[in-house]
Amino acid sequence: MNLARDIIDKQVVDKNQAKMGKVDGVVLALHGGKPPVVSYIEIGGITLARRVGRRTERFIRLLKKRWGSPRAQQPYRVAWRQVRDIGVDIEVALDVRETPVNDWQNWLRDKVIRRIPGS
Amino acid sequence: MDKLLEVSLGIVTSVGGYLEIGSIATSAQAGAAFGFQLLWALVLGTLCIIVLVEMSGRFAAVSHHTISDAMRERFGFNFFLLPLTVTVLLNLMVLSAEIGGVALAGEFATGIGHQWWAVPVGIVVWLLLWKGTFGLIEKGVALLGLVTLVFVVAAVKLGPDWKDLLRSAVPSLPQHDGARYWFLAASILGATISPYLFLFYSSGAIEDHWNESYLWANRAIAGIGMTFGGVISASTLVIAALVMPPSGIRDVNDYHQLPLLLTKVFGFWGLVLFIASLAIACLGAALEIALQQAYLVAQGFGWNWGKDLMPEAAPAFSLVYTLSVIIAVVPMVLGVDPLNLTVFSMALTAASLPLTILPFIFLMNDKRFVKQHTNGRLGNIAIMAIIALGFVLAIATIPLEIFSGG
Repeated sequence: MNLARDIIDKQVVDKNQAKMGKVDGVVLALHGGKPPVVSYIEIGGITLARRVGRRTERFIRLLKKRWGSPRAQQPYRVAWRQVRDIGVDIEVALDVRETPVNDWQNWLRDKVIRRIPGS
Repeated sequence: MDKLLEVSLGIVTSVGGYLEIGSIATSAQAGAAFGFQLLWALVLGTLCIIVLVEMSGRFAAVSHHTISDAMRERFGFNFFLLPLTVTVLLNLMVLSAEIGGVALAGEFATGIGHQWWAVPVGIVVWLLLWKGTFGLIEKGVALLGLVTLVFVVAAVKLGPDWKDLLRSAVPSLPQHDGARYWFLAASILGATISPYLFLFYSSGAIEDHWNESYLWANRAIAGIGMTFGGVISASTLVIAALVMPPSGIRDVNDYHQLPLLLTKVFGFWGLVLFIASLAIACLGAALEIALQQAYLVAQGFGWNWGKDLMPEAAPAFSLVYTLSVIIAVVPMVLGVDPLNLTVFSMALTAASLPLTILPFIFLMNDKRFVKQHTNGRLGNIAIMAIIALGFVLAIATIPLEIFSGG
């Protein structure tokens, strides 16, 4: 397996095939002299912004601090052992509703969309 | 049998959904100024879009990826940002032009200025998407779009010199107004090779759960549908070449001149047909572009998306098309000329093609996505040559066009 080729930037879906973002980054762990192993995949704007540049990261962190939910201040991490399948999508053994990744979309739905007549 | 029906519907939707403000405006300007001479640009563009649409359907059917998903996956987020940003901005311009097109139809029908129509048109576009009924109305709008076939009828009725027409399918050098000629060639290429068209098509193929058994269906829809579409555009150019110059119009720079395309042939009913064609064609295109915008962004960030999803099921997706429609309405309300905006955004589209199409060509040759269904070498070279031509022409002539005052 090739991390950059087969994991990063792939679609992540939960155990019900609901979309929960992309693999924005991976966390590697080093144990002594052994080759690094993947311990987490990261989903979140901060990780993504870090890849673009330092300033972009600072900007996104600021946005999150001001408007983000308390649980969304750090990128969301999924432990590697939760990964069930790597195919067209990466399926993880979680329920997206129990994670913070869609907090802002839920806010949008509850505070804005539901208040627009006809939705 | 089911699939045959699907193919027929697919062809009908491609034909009915082909014409939009970009192809009408660029074909009309080219025909009025240069007769049939620029037909070759339409032929090249149509060949290119046939191949691209076929590729995008094949890509989705085999890889089960939309093009935006795959672009991010293959080239990484940082590269993906470039085509993403450029396409989002161009989509906004073209969406604005299409809303302007529907608004113009409103003006032609009622005499009330198009500026006043922009907001109601925007609301209609948004409501149709918001109600989550696009899948339902898509086929309906496309069927109604078949009214644009009236352009073909008009062209045939005018009795063009077929030998002349055939000769114009081969590129030739202009005898006058060189800069204008090449600028129009670029705009025609940009209007014909619309990225939103093939990007939209790949999302549709994913939503309809295409797999490898759809490859022949895809080939039929792309080949027949886009060819017919090209014929409608070509007819517009032919009509313009035959009716505009005798009326003393060499330069279609005022949108009031556009209905002439059909009124010269059909009289009063020509006006009615022109208004109907313009309204339906541009409404269909506006819906597709607004959706395409939302697809692109949602797929790029891994959000939930789908044309039949209610806003509650896909809040971020709905937010993207809502904002896009709002932003696109603004220039029309402020009185930007829809015709100028159209032609200018078509030329810009031509300039941007390498950014969207080159990565796509890479994907089409990547066995990890399309397995054994990669492109042939001829297809690769032909596409790259055509978009290179569009790019060079656009880059060279856009500044001239701006300085000469459009």
